[in-house]
Amino acid sequence: MSASTASTRVPLTHDVLANTLREEASVWLFVAKTLTALFVAGWIAMRVDLPAPSTAMITTLIVANRQSGLVLAKSFYRTLGTFAGAFGAIAIMATFPQQRDLLLVALSLWIGLCAGGATLYRNFKAYAFVLAGYTAAIVAIPVIDNPPGVFDSAVARLSEVLLGVLVSGVISDVVFPSRMRDVLRRTARDQFAHFLGFVRDSVGGAIPRESMEKAHLRFVRASVTLEDLRSSVIFADADARARSNQMRLFNQRFMAASTSFQSLHHLINRLKRARRDRAADTLIQLYRPIGEALDAPIEAGSAARILLPRLTAARDAIASSRAALRATLDDAHDLRDFDTGASLLRRFVDELHDYVDTAVALQAPRVIAGSAERVRFDRGNDFVGAGIATLRTTLAMLALGVYWIESAWPQGGGAMLNATIFAGLFATIPNPTRATWELTWGYFIGMVLGFVCNFFVLTQLEGYGLLVAGVFPFIVVGVMLMASPRWAGLGLGWALGLVYILAFKNTQTYDPAHFINDAVAQIVGLLAAAVSFIVIPPAIGSAWLRRRQLARLRAQVALAAEAPLPGLRHRFESVNHDLVSQIAAQTEPGSSDSRALFAWALAVHETGRALIELRHDMVRRGVPSTLKPYLDAALRSLARFYEKPDAPGYLLARDAVATAIASVGEHDDSAHLIEHLHLVRMALLDGESILAAYMPDTPLSKEIVHAT
Amino acid sequence: MPREIVLGDALVPGLLILFVLAIAVIWLLDAIAGRFSLYRFVWHPPLFRLAVFVCVFGAFALLLN
Repeated sequence: MSASTASTRVPLTHDVLANTLREEASVWLFVAKTLTALFVAGWIAMRVDLPAPSTAMITTLIVANRQSGLVLAKSFYRTLGTFAGAFGAIAIMATFPQQRDLLLVALSLWIGLCAGGATLYRNFKAYAFVLAGYTAAIVAIPVIDNPPGVFDSAVARLSEVLLGVLVSGVISDVVFPSRMRDVLRRTARDQFAHFLGFVRDSVGGAIPRESMEKAHLRFVRASVTLEDLRSSVIFADADARARSNQMRLFNQRFMAASTSFQSLHHLINRLKRARRDRAADTLIQLYRPIGEALDAPIEAGSAARILLPRLTAARDAIASSRAALRATLDDAHDLRDFDTGASLLRRFVDELHDYVDTAVALQAPRVIAGSAERVRFDRGNDFVGAGIATLRTTLAMLALGVYWIESAWPQGGGAMLNATIFAGLFATIPNPTRATWELTWGYFIGMVLGFVCNFFVLTQLEGYGLLVAGVFPFIVVGVMLMASPRWAGLGLGWALGLVYILAFKNTQTYDPAHFINDAVAQIVGLLAAAVSFIVIPPAIGSAWLRRRQLARLRAQVALAAEAPLPGLRHRFESVNHDLVSQIAAQTEPGSSDSRALFAWALAVHETGRALIELRHDMVRRGVPSTLKPYLDAALRSLARFYEKPDAPGYLLARDAVATAIASVGEHDDSAHLIEHLHLVRMALLDGESILAAYMPDTPLSKEIVHAT
Repeated sequence: MPREIVLGDALVPGLLILFVLAIAVIWLLDAIAGRFSLYRFVWHPPLFRLAVFVCVFGAFALLLN
């Protein structure tokens, strides 16, 4: 990483110009593809006489994205969600065909549940849930007075959405596709190069805590980004899909290796801080072969193959120099800390070797059948947050439903639909009120333009070609705005509002009164969604949810200490990473919240991994029955302390670990366990970690390493 | 091609059913092609995939009558 900053040079004018042009070209390509998909979908829908061609057109706008992979991924989930929603609508309608009130209640509940389910997923899976919710409303509400029509309504909605999805999928995938596979490959390469570079550069010894935390954040982000990209790319690329599991394995091994690496460095840092330079320097010396092994051009892919024999050689060099280095130490504490560090180092080298091995295999020209073990990336979800989203969406729906029934407003259904759609869609983003507000403005602009377009332009025109020409000037700016990150919400609202309000049909109707009523209903629906976000604020981004997530992160130690072992290592790492990245996305960088988060994340990571390794060793080699109660007590008290950190719990955990270490010392055949326990103990006694707040007030700087 | 297909006493447009079936078949073919890296032999995979889709969809429509 330092190598790349050193080579920074002043950008030349023509570079800037070329970059700007490339960016502009990509925007215009997006506009051209989106508009082509929009009008082609509309044309086909009119040709095959679908009842609402505008739904197909709106679909193309919703799935529009610059990346082909994202279009396909979103299309896939839109299709799934639409199917689920259509079936939901038919089931609800069949249950309460004559009971308008019960039907609305059931519909509100269904939509609320779907919106709640959406908060449990990242990515487009969340979108599928939201869609399943509001598709039911879209299918059911227009036929609320005519229950037998629900089936036709469902089939029409399905056909329109599928058509829109097909057209945008084909156009974005075939016409100058922008491949996300390249982004994925670049991300994986960057991750690889950054990590190995970081390992190589830190061979000199202690890394300041601050840069450690920064590196941790970067590693966490890298692994979560990679997982997000992977889950989208598999839709665009059959090759990537075949390698998907290898990609996951690559990521898991990355997480494992980076955790071990950090533990090792915390150990060295602690030794240095306690002025135990001899032990620290010996460890750094033991570590040196890795730095030498990595002292080669680092590049992911087959070029990384040269690293493999070098790492194996480094492992052997470490193993052979270990005894000699150990002999230079005489202090009992030094020897113990050296042993702990050496076993950690061995674990790290093995993991690093596996990681590089997967990186090489990823680039192999052919997929090796069944070579990779099956792994999955588990997420850390919060069910209370989901409950809040459910409650909010259900209440918003019910309030509008009651208003609709009481006021007998002809357009009430439209308002209700729009409120549903956006209350659900924005339930999963951090600042939904602002997003809804922007979208409302977009809708407003789009509908005002729609009025001009509909009554002054389209009335003069005849035929589909002229319709395209007539609508084009009104929509093109909106679609352009969709391509810019800052104005995407406004642009989307603009394009959606315009296409919605024009409501293209084979025989276009021109009815200003209906038009204005409909427009007002749309805006009211959007505002209702905004109000619902103010009345029941979203859990995402709130201090309350952050506290809960932090508690879950701490509970990961209990998971490491008590959950069944098979697959636990992957589960622990991936949930940890997901939680940390969620909280990191919701905290201000550098704020006290974010610092507390990272302090906890480091402690949880280190202790949790050590506990998992300890339990693996306990199972693998067996534990004498006289020792087991002490180890179990240590695991249990640590789990309880991390679940609910307080000073008495801290003392209990510290004493339990000390007792366990002492009793392991009495059993000669269980010496391999002591290194893990020792690592846990050192993490517990680290005066610079977040745990310091729970320590008794006695000065600890000496005790950090001398306590037994 | 049947214009409408009866699903549990309800008429569904035949095109819709065939479309969904064709998508499923394409998904399968695509997975097989990816598994054995067959797209190496193709110049423009998405275009090729679209062509195969048209063939499958068309074949369904012609065969089922």
